[in-house]
Amino acid sequence: MTQELTAILGILLFPGLLFFSILGLFFEWIDRKFYAKLQNRVGPLYTGPWGLLQPFADFVKLMSKEDIVPEGADRPVFSSVPVFALTLTFFATLFLPVCGPQGIISFEGDVVVLSVVLTILVILVFLGGFSSASRYSEVGAERSVLQLLGYEIPLVASVLGAAAITVSTGGSLSINGIVEAQRDWWAILGVQALGFAIFLLAAQAELERVPFDIPEAETEIVAGWTTEYSGRKLALLRLARDVELAFLCGLGATLFLGGPQPGPLVPGLGGVIISTMLFVIKSVAVLLLLTIIRAAMSRLRIDQMINFAWKWLVPLSLLQLLLAVVVPLVTA
Amino acid sequence: MSSLVDIPIGPQHPAIKEPINITCYVDGEQVIGAKLRLGYNHRGIEKAGEYQTFIQNLYIAERICGICGIVHAFSLAQATEDIIGKEIPRRADYLRTIGLELNRIHSHLLWLGVAAHEIGFDTLFMYVWRDREMVMDVIEEFTGNRVTYALVTIGGVRRDLPQEKAEKILKVMDVLEEKVKKYKEMCLDERTIRVRCDGVGILRKEDAIALCAVGPTARASGVPFDVRADDPHAAYDEIPFKVVTYDTCDVTARLLVRIDETLESINIIRESIRKMPSGPIRARLPRIVPAGEGVGRTEAPRGEVFHYVRASGSEKPFRWKVRAPSLANFLSVPVMLTSKGDYVVYIADVPIVFASIDPCMSCTDRAVKFVDVSSGKSWVWTFGQIKRIYWRDRS
Amino acid sequence: MPIFREVLKTALQKRATILYPFEKRDVPSDYRGKIEIDYDQCVGCGLCSRDCPSQALVMVTLSNGKKKPKYFLARCTFCSQCVESCPRKAIKTTQVYELATYNRKAEVVEPCGTSR
Repeated sequence: MTQELTAILGILLFPGLLFFSILGLFFEWIDRKFYAKLQNRVGPLYTGPWGLLQPFADFVKLMSKEDIVPEGADRPVFSSVPVFALTLTFFATLFLPVCGPQGIISFEGDVVVLSVVLTILVILVFLGGFSSASRYSEVGAERSVLQLLGYEIPLVASVLGAAAITVSTGGSLSINGIVEAQRDWWAILGVQALGFAIFLLAAQAELERVPFDIPEAETEIVAGWTTEYSGRKLALLRLARDVELAFLCGLGATLFLGGPQPGPLVPGLGGVIISTMLFVIKSVAVLLLLTIIRAAMSRLRIDQMINFAWKWLVPLSLLQLLLAVVVPLVTA
Repeated sequence: MSSLVDIPIGPQHPAIKEPINITCYVDGEQVIGAKLRLGYNHRGIEKAGEYQTFIQNLYIAERICGICGIVHAFSLAQATEDIIGKEIPRRADYLRTIGLELNRIHSHLLWLGVAAHEIGFDTLFMYVWRDREMVMDVIEEFTGNRVTYALVTIGGVRRDLPQEKAEKILKVMDVLEEKVKKYKEMCLDERTIRVRCDGVGILRKEDAIALCAVGPTARASGVPFDVRADDPHAAYDEIPFKVVTYDTCDVTARLLVRIDETLESINIIRESIRKMPSGPIRARLPRIVPAGEGVGRTEAPRGEVFHYVRASGSEKPFRWKVRAPSLANFLSVPVMLTSKGDYVVYIADVPIVFASIDPCMSCTDRAVKFVDVSSGKSWVWTFGQIKRIYWRDRS
Repeated sequence: MPIFREVLKTALQKRATILYPFEKRDVPSDYRGKIEIDYDQCVGCGLCSRDCPSQALVMVTLSNGKKKPKYFLARCTFCSQCVESCPRKAIKTTQVYELATYNRKAEVVEPCGTSR
């Protein structure tokens, strides 16, 4: 009985839904503050100390606004997309190891499941835009699928390539195995550096941030696929986006930076608190890198993005996959 | 062709700062054609001008546009001085030149930031506007206000430029020149900017001349029209400067034309401060303007602005007509947005192409229909006819 | 790419934002703000009201028969043309620009009766 209770509390509170919601809002705050700092400005300042409560205030404000469904929209699909998006991102975060080497859900092959989840999220974007019955949403939805064609292979290749590090410990396709294999030496310090770079760019495209925010280009198609969403649905969508940001940063930290482990200088594992802190610090490091990319580039056009993805990202990611598998075998 | 969808951009749209409606006919992501619709910002300024005195009209003219206000006040003052027929003091000419060039610098920097925002490059937008604050502070020192200068009056200028303020302006010009040169390098080297702006929004030289494009839009297509050089007014006859043209006819060319013009303006301001003669800053001209017609024109940051005034011997004008440069540039937009053969226009290009002509709807929305009150005839002048009548001295 | 260096350098600089209203900048000494009318100097010629582009100065007749201008702050465009037009130099420009208010009545400055 107590085991089920701890499991449920674990999923709902820590390190599950509540923890990742708060982490998502916190990451949005860091993103906005650092982005502003890079532009010589201040960012949110007055809501809460240093503006910490600003993302939460935005969420609460959106929840209280009027929720309008366009007349021609496909009501069931339109209304369920935000709920599904949020559920799916929460489900993905349950795999991340926060307070130990294992996430709440952990089994052999969960890395593959995560890649599938990331792809389904984009399908949801397409459904959301397409069911909105608005010209701007249609263009945004069509662009998001086009963009998926470009970055999906590099993303999956870099995530699966990260699993190649487990070759030395017996080979495994689970996140638990990847974290265990990084006990002494973080993956990024070896052949996975290229994988990390590709993962950063692909994550930026998955999150639809500049230079890849083509589906949601504000100055071109109003708000892309989220144009017709308002009120509670928009609040859930934005929360889903924040949790996805936290998830992808956490995934980057887990696959390439060793997750909640302190190594390589201090091998072994600390307690729950130290592991959580390490996990958060490493995720924040990945987030800062993503923000720097966002600040320093302008938005690409969809044909240029696909060009870039297929000319550079895909060959490099396949090369990296090859290296990741061959080099450990050769050096072992 | 059966899958043509038309996407309306405006009158309410995050990309457009003022209300205008462009309807783009698209096939997937490619834009096949575009149609413009103006008139959302019509305020009846020319009619209101007939009920106010010339002095009051100067302030109304300034508010035709927030960005280039002094240009309209200057053109109106020039038109009125043309009717009265008296010369204004030389020092006033130089001070007016400094006001006009400061306005040009701030307008071009504003445009650079907005163009960067249109292509999604918010960081450059923030940096450029931070540096534009230096120019706004200088303008506030010189004229007393950041946006509506109220510097020009009929017969001269209202404020003088004492020596300490001139020194301050020169110091700011030095700092600004460094920064603008850095932005020019950034725009030329930055791959993401070049990739969005090269080969986009092409307006060939023949089209630019046929559609009467003015200002940087025409100069980026190799057409060297510049009112400051062609029809010297204020102090431009004594200050040498370069008319900047580029040949590539695309958005990058317009970007570079405006940045180079900013650097030229910095030089013009330095020369004006150096060469400024001493003397009175305004001539007392009569309030009652004798009957007659006058024309005032100058080079606004967006192109040639043209004011026509007809006075009938009272304090108030009989007719006041303004032709702002953006109206002349709008005809080029549908041509730039039409995909033809190898030249493909995408939806993503529409905001930056439209922004590259530096549209200013506040300047633009005035009627183009002419009514002759005495004979009751009304007619519409085509641009060809206007060209023939007003530009005959150029040939 | 040069922009990365620029961006990272800016992260170490002090912010360019001025936290108004906690930090304020000084305006120049000849900034054109609200005007101030010296009713003792005013002779009621009405030139300021004729030249005002937005009818912010309207001549009213006081109880002692004198004419003085009534100043509508909400209509004023702060061009200070009235300052130039007044033959007695009775109007002065101040540097006051913080003029937003919730009270409509505060926007009208009534002339007070004077000895002239």
